[in-house]
Parts: sequence; C-alpha cells; structure tokens
Amino acid sequence: MDKLDQEWLSAAVDGDIDEQAIKALSNDSYAQDKWCNYHLIGDAIRDELPDAIPLDLTAGIASALESEPELLVPQTPETKVTVEEPLVANAKVVPLFKQVGQYAIAASVAVMAVIGVQNYQQVEQENHPSPVLNTLPIMGSASPVSLQAEPSSNAVSAQEYNEQLQEQRRRINAYLQDHLLQQRLNSNSSLSQNSDN
Amino acid sequence: MRNILIFLSLVALPALAQNEMTAKAWLENMSQALQHQGYKASMVQVQAGHIRPLVYLHDKVDNKEVAFLEYLNGPPQKAVRIDNTVTFIEHDQTPYSIFSNRIEGLWPAAFTSNLGILSHSYQFVLGGRARIAGRPGQLVRIISKDNNRFSYRVWLDMDNFLPLRMDTVSVDKNLLQQLMVVEIGQFDTTPEILQEAIKRQWPSARVISPQKQTYHWKFTWLPKGFKVRTRDHHRLYGSREPVEYIGLTDGLANISVYISESKTTELPSELTSQNGMAIVTDRIGDAEVVVVGQAPSKTLIEIAKSLRLEN
Repeated sequence: MDKLDQEWLSAAVDGDIDEQAIKALSNDSYAQDKWCNYHLIGDAIRDELPDAIPLDLTAGIASALESEPELLVPQTPETKVTVEEPLVANAKVVPLFKQVGQYAIAASVAVMAVIGVQNYQQVEQENHPSPVLNTLPIMGSASPVSLQAEPSSNAVSAQEYNEQLQEQRRRINAYLQDHLLQQRLNSNSSLSQNSDN
Repeated sequence: MRNILIFLSLVALPALAQNEMTAKAWLENMSQALQHQGYKASMVQVQAGHIRPLVYLHDKVDNKEVAFLEYLNGPPQKAVRIDNTVTFIEHDQTPYSIFSNRIEGLWPAAFTSNLGILSHSYQFVLGGRARIAGRPGQLVRIISKDNNRFSYRVWLDMDNFLPLRMDTVSVDKNLLQQLMVVEIGQFDTTPEILQEAIKRQWPSARVISPQKQTYHWKFTWLPKGFKVRTRDHHRLYGSREPVEYIGLTDGLANISVYISESKTTELPSELTSQNGMAIVTDRIGDAEVVVVGQAPSKTLIEIAKSLRLEN
C-alpha cells in the first residue's frame, strides 16, 4: 500500500470517492482496516466516539456477507463433523449425511442476509426496536436493520458481542436455508400420506 | 325472431356460464390449465423491495409434463421438470434431481394437486376483474378462516384460466409478496428448449428414506388445517447441526419445526421479515425449538409451545 493509495483511502473516508475506488476498497482487506482506523480517528478527533462498545460493524457485515457463499457449498463431512454428543443425534446420521450433502440450495434462492446493527441512538432507550429480519431474495446490498435477542449485558466486550451477533446470524441463516431446502426436497409429498400430529 | 333468440343464447351462454362460475370452479379450472396447457410466462417475484424476474415454460409431451424455470438475474439458476423428476441446475452446484411433480418456488403445491384440502383453512371468494399482463383477469380471494395464516389473492386469465398474479397478504391486509406475470403466451408446438430438455440426460433422482427420529415429539395443538408432511432427522443445511425435523403444511403455507440441543448462542425469540417469513425460538427443557415459516409469528410461537415429548 503506497502513499497514493492512502490518499484515495483518505478521500474515501471523507466520502469524496468514485465507484471504482469503492470497488477496489471492497477487495482490499488491508485498506479496509485502514478505512476503519481513519473513521475511528476521525470520530475521536471530533469527539464522537461512543462511550462504550465501538463495534466494528464493517467487519461484522463484511464477514456476514462473505460467509454467505460458503453456506451454499455442501460442506464435506470431514471438516465439520466433530465428535459431538448431541441430544437428538445418533450414529446413523453419517450415511444420510453424505446423501444430503448432494442437495443444496443456491444463495440466490435462500440468501437471508441478516445484518445486525445496534442503533447507537437507541441503546439508551427503554424500548429497543423490535428485531427485524432482512431477507434478500437476490444477491444485493442489504440495508442494515436491527437485530438483537436481548440487549446484551454491559459486561460483554465489543468483541464478544460481535461474535455473538455473528453466531446468531449464522444460525438464523442455517435455519432459513434449511427450511427452503426442505420445501424443495419435500415438494412432492402429499398431505394424505402422513397425517399424524 | 326465433333464430335471433337461438343466436343470442349461443353467444350469451358461455359468457353466462363464466359469470356463474364459483370461485372454487375458477381455481379448479386453473389447476387443470396449469397442468395441461402449453405456455410460456415471464414473471416477476416481488418481496421485501426486491424483484426477481423469471421465465417459466410448461407443456405436455406424450402425456408427460415438461417444464423449465429460469431466474433471469444474478447467478444462473434453473430447474427442469420431466414428468415426476425435477433437476436443479444452479451456479456452483453439481446439478441434482429429486422426485417431484412440481418445481418448488412458483405456484403453491395445492394449485396443481388437491384444492380440496384448502377448504379446511381457507374460503374462496370471487372478486372483481382487472387487467394484468395485458390480459383480462378474474380475482379469486383465498381467505384464511382464522388469524393463524396469511391470505392470498389470485388473478386468473379469463380466457385460459392460467394464473396471472398471486399476492400474499398479511392478517392486517398488507401485501407481503407478489408473483406476477408480465407476459404470457400459449403455444401449440413444444418450444425447442423443452424438446431439448426431454432429450437431455439429467442426473437421476433417488428416493431417500427419511432418517427415523430418536424421540417422538407431538403437537398438542396445531392451527386448523395444518398437517405433518415430513418428519425426519437430518443435519441442518449450512451448519451441519443435527436436528429433529417436522414439516407442516396446510396446502399453501409451509412451516418447519426444528428441535435440537440448546446452544450457547441463543437465537432471538422472535424475528419477522417484510415478506412474512418469521422465525421463532423457544425452549422445552434442554431442547431448543426453532419454528420457521411464512406465517404470523404468533402462530409459530403457539406451535412451538404446543410441542411435547412423547414417552
């Protein structure tokens, strides 16, 4: 990263930037870190830093988006099968596993990007905005919405909070995608076949 | 004079017959049209401010239904149906086939199978007429009998009964989702793309026997008309987390119930999206219950609360 780059990055932070540069920025994680720092410095200079939890939202959002394509790749059993003792699992799962791995659902069907942003202004308020789920039927930009289970306790560090938020998103995505995949796999099942409750 | 009367009756009767058709009869005609006619429809799916254009072709060749669906924007995504096999061809995926007599994602299952089951939970009401995709359309409302599910509005082509538009409407009558034809045409000779689809070798579909559940979970309450469609044990797509799965449907709305071991990261107890998709989480003992579906979140919560473990 040379001086010239720093200049456009600095311009970008000030909002004085063209689309191409934004694209370049989006592909350069080093520049992104810088970008964040510049913003942070800017905020600090203007004395606009929040008292607590300076959430690194850009990283959160970016990694949430980045993780999307991975969701549509059937994961190989080797990487993910850790020896768990789940409440509802049994040893028989493994063979099915391989079969199911072949079925997949494209992100463009299933992408339910849940972008969580804690609204600073509302942290102090009694009424937290009700959680909203942002569904993206197509790849596209997501408008950040509020998502939080319960206001996390003050003791939680920014990093922990961020991780929790991401884990929530990941889990919600998994359920939504699986729901859509199940609709597809069972699209033929007629109601009369199985009517027990 | 008599001739004139006969002439009048000949001209007027079919129109009169259409005028007297019940909402149910309109839907039954639609069901037939969807399965037997050869047509190509360009459509848009609108939800939560996003528009997805798609094209759908359908025909009947040698008594077998053939259909092709393609989403036109973004990464390639297609589906081909030859009789009872549907193959999904999607970007970054190995194509795979499943046994199904419909391509999921367009019109609801009940439209081409059993309209009768809908009468438990919905009533059909004839509405007004409107012009859609340049065609005269008749509105049929599919209204939920209770507040446990959404309602639908379907406009049917008055000439050939093919659906031109379907709206999903919330309990408060807000529009949640829309599938709308922008151009539709019928054909007599099977288009090349469908002929090609018949000739092609597609991956063969396999019957998967569902993995038996370890525990038997029972619902003490389900909204009227909802029945268990599938019950199995699988790993969550995307996270590989093992879950007990119960799929519910009332013919139009589909709800998924997942039971798994409680996790350290709790999910929000209730989330809803602009297109009516909701996800709710509850706990029963050590188990976490997640209910997902396009239905009012209140309904999903009640379903989750009604789950009991049967000994």
